[in-house]
Amino acid sequence: MSANVLEVKGLTKRFGGLAAVNDVSFDVREGGISGLIGPNGAGKTTIFNLITGVYKVTAGEVSFQGRRIENVEPYKIADLGVTRTFQNIRLFKNLSVFDNVLTACHLSAKYSIPEAILRLPRFRREEKVLAEKATFLLEIMGLQDRRDIQANNLPYGLQRRLEIVRALALDPKLLLLDEPAAGMNPDETEQLMRLISEIRERFKLSVLLIEHHMDLVMGICEHIVVLNFGQKLSEGSADAVSSDPKVMEAYLGSSGGNKC
Amino acid sequence: MSQFLQQLVNGLSIGSVYALMAVGYSLVYSIMNFSNFAHGGVIMLGAYFGFFSLTSLKLPFAAAFLIASVGTALLAVLIERVAYKPLRDRRAPFLYFIISAMGASILLENIVIATIGPTFRTYPEIFAREPISLGTLSIGRLDLIMFFVSAFCLAGLILFIEKTRIGKAIQAAAYNMKACALMGVNTDRVVLIVFALGGFLAGVAGVFFGMKYTVYPQIGNITTKSFIAAVFGGLGSLPGAVIGSVLLGIIETLVAGYLSSQFRDLIAFVILIGVLIFRPTGIMGKSTEDKA
Amino acid sequence: MDWTYIQGILMLAGINLIAVLGLCLLTGFTGLFSFGHAGFMAIGAYIGALMTVPPATTAGNIGGFGLPFVVGIVAGGAAAGLVSWLLGRITLNLKGDYFCIATLGFGEAIRLILNNVKTFGGARGWPGVPQYSTVWAVLVVDIVAVLFLANLVRSRHGRNMIAVREEELAAQIAGIDVFKYKMIALIVSAVYAGVAGVLFGHYMTFIQPKMFSMTKSTELTIIVIFGGLGSISGSVLGALVLTALPELLRAFDIWRLVFYGAAVILIMISRPKGLMGGMELSPAGLRKVAAARRARLAFKTEALREDAAEGLRAEEAAPGGKA
Repeated sequence: MSANVLEVKGLTKRFGGLAAVNDVSFDVREGGISGLIGPNGAGKTTIFNLITGVYKVTAGEVSFQGRRIENVEPYKIADLGVTRTFQNIRLFKNLSVFDNVLTACHLSAKYSIPEAILRLPRFRREEKVLAEKATFLLEIMGLQDRRDIQANNLPYGLQRRLEIVRALALDPKLLLLDEPAAGMNPDETEQLMRLISEIRERFKLSVLLIEHHMDLVMGICEHIVVLNFGQKLSEGSADAVSSDPKVMEAYLGSSGGNKC
Repeated sequence: MSQFLQQLVNGLSIGSVYALMAVGYSLVYSIMNFSNFAHGGVIMLGAYFGFFSLTSLKLPFAAAFLIASVGTALLAVLIERVAYKPLRDRRAPFLYFIISAMGASILLENIVIATIGPTFRTYPEIFAREPISLGTLSIGRLDLIMFFVSAFCLAGLILFIEKTRIGKAIQAAAYNMKACALMGVNTDRVVLIVFALGGFLAGVAGVFFGMKYTVYPQIGNITTKSFIAAVFGGLGSLPGAVIGSVLLGIIETLVAGYLSSQFRDLIAFVILIGVLIFRPTGIMGKSTEDKA
Repeated sequence: MDWTYIQGILMLAGINLIAVLGLCLLTGFTGLFSFGHAGFMAIGAYIGALMTVPPATTAGNIGGFGLPFVVGIVAGGAAAGLVSWLLGRITLNLKGDYFCIATLGFGEAIRLILNNVKTFGGARGWPGVPQYSTVWAVLVVDIVAVLFLANLVRSRHGRNMIAVREEELAAQIAGIDVFKYKMIALIVSAVYAGVAGVLFGHYMTFIQPKMFSMTKSTELTIIVIFGGLGSISGSVLGALVLTALPELLRAFDIWRLVFYGAAVILIMISRPKGLMGGMELSPAGLRKVAAARRARLAFKTEALREDAAEGLRAEEAAPGGKA
């Protein structure tokens, strides 16, 4: 059994008096694909926001590769190797596909502002590397022929894909995907499943995803955490979770099982 | 001590006029989340409406008041239709609203300069100059009337918002505009009414301001202070706007009285920056965490 | 219309342009709006004058250090930059339009403070600033300012600022230190405004707090918006057109600001992208526009072809389709 890349212990977040996330603990295995599921309002996205530093943690711990990251600023967490996509896509809308990715590649260059203004050799050298990296990423993710299109003119599915490419530009070790298959048809969802597995292999990273498409979750997640009303309901493999009576009750009882 | 009381009374009087202006900023902010900088221009035109009603049309005081406030209410609604409605329809970012508001403010000020001229104009004397004496205190008649009319208008506004159906709709829209629209509230009408209310009070304030000081195109810049009062009290909160205005009025007169009248204008901006550093949400505002 | 007159207008446009370029970075590329940059111009103008004005000989004169113009420019820019750093530290974390409000308060506070500082002449102003600003000096500063800005914007640092403008949260998640880049943009814009202030003072030979009012700040922001957010060439065009045009149409001078106000509202409600709309008038900029256009076209044809293919498939699949 490999080590854990992310460990969440007793994570709690209160908005005023309301506990959106209450004492949740789980681990994400190195190199694994884990799923975070649960009915709407269960606190899934809040957990993403806590891991990535968007929200301040009320109580509990988040450790990434053995290092505590709760309440660290989001950009530092990204620098450490945790990045994410958003449920409601947040691209740099007015920039081209290529510029979206090129911008996110910035951590691979080190030149300073004076070097940029004076166009010194290091600037030229590193800019070339950045452009190559962005081109490479777009090529392997099949977006190269759309590189000059403005991001918000892309079809919905490709916008989601571009957001993943932008995340990959940061060389993450842990990738958080917030409902990557939202709004996709079964064909596209299947494509996405293959893509996520490929990414994991190719970039040697771990994935934690939030999803409502049960086919996708059950199909690729090796480990699943089920949340309900901000608390952990169940945890385990796809089979274990789907046969857990508590999970059946939460899903069948509240939403009539139509999520399957 | 008596000097202090005197300053307090003066501060209260000017603070109440600030409050009339500040609620206009806060009302709009509460439902549309942007600082309506065109409000200063509306107040300025209110002062001119009142001035010309009294001098050119030779109308009685009450009629001039009515013309000024109805005129500014209509003007505020007109600005909303022309400068903000297209942005609302497009769901433009709030910065566009601010810029559009700045444009409207520049437009109003300079139309007045180009047509009426940049000169200072003095209101005819309506109330006798000699003050009323109350023990050691002497209170200007105008100050007294300003205070009571302002208090009356503000009480009316608060009653309107608390007690009427449309007032409840405004409160609901301030809480959540989108949900309000989904519940079948005509939010477009709510916006119009909010602008009309703010505009009406702006007219009252403009006339008082013109009477107390003078009328000139840059009055709009002075009303920036009432905006600061609204920030001080907490943008978007009506009680906050009133409290912030009264406090600002009192602090200003105390500073002018005890330190130097030159610091009078500066203190408002010092307060503004202090509030923004230590409590950007103001006295009555509540702090919120952005939802991602 | 003689040459000195035209020269004067050009210089005024060139000086405005420097301040506008700074705001172009802050507003157009980083997405922060300021209504107080006249305050930075004022700081530049007064510190610059302090450096270059010769020491006082008679009691009534306000004296300076009598140093060369270059020292004045550097000191004025640096002073504005330093103040902006202090301002940024306390205001850049503010949300929504509270930053605009803070800059507004800052600009007015600077003006009111200068009104009360008797050492610099108070509200009556400071006469006797040497006339060092020449067409050539302004032109050189303009060229340097444009080059610096263009090179900054087309680098990873510039892209990070654009990312902050586009989507702050996503920028954070992409590892961009949003606060730092806002700060850099604010400081650069303040230095530009400060330098513009120095040149302005040494062109007018007389400075007065009321030259640096909120109207001036707003005017600068309006030029940036008019030129188009995120376009350096737009800012250049905007500064030239909006400074020179009203000067040339002297007869309509009092209507100039009326036109400004109306134009701003019109731009906001109809063409919020301004004159240039994020495009650049440069070989690389034009190539980019062409590429985007080609890509859009190619994409459309592809979508059409796909639609057609889908339609065919559907017709084949449906027995007894409308064939």
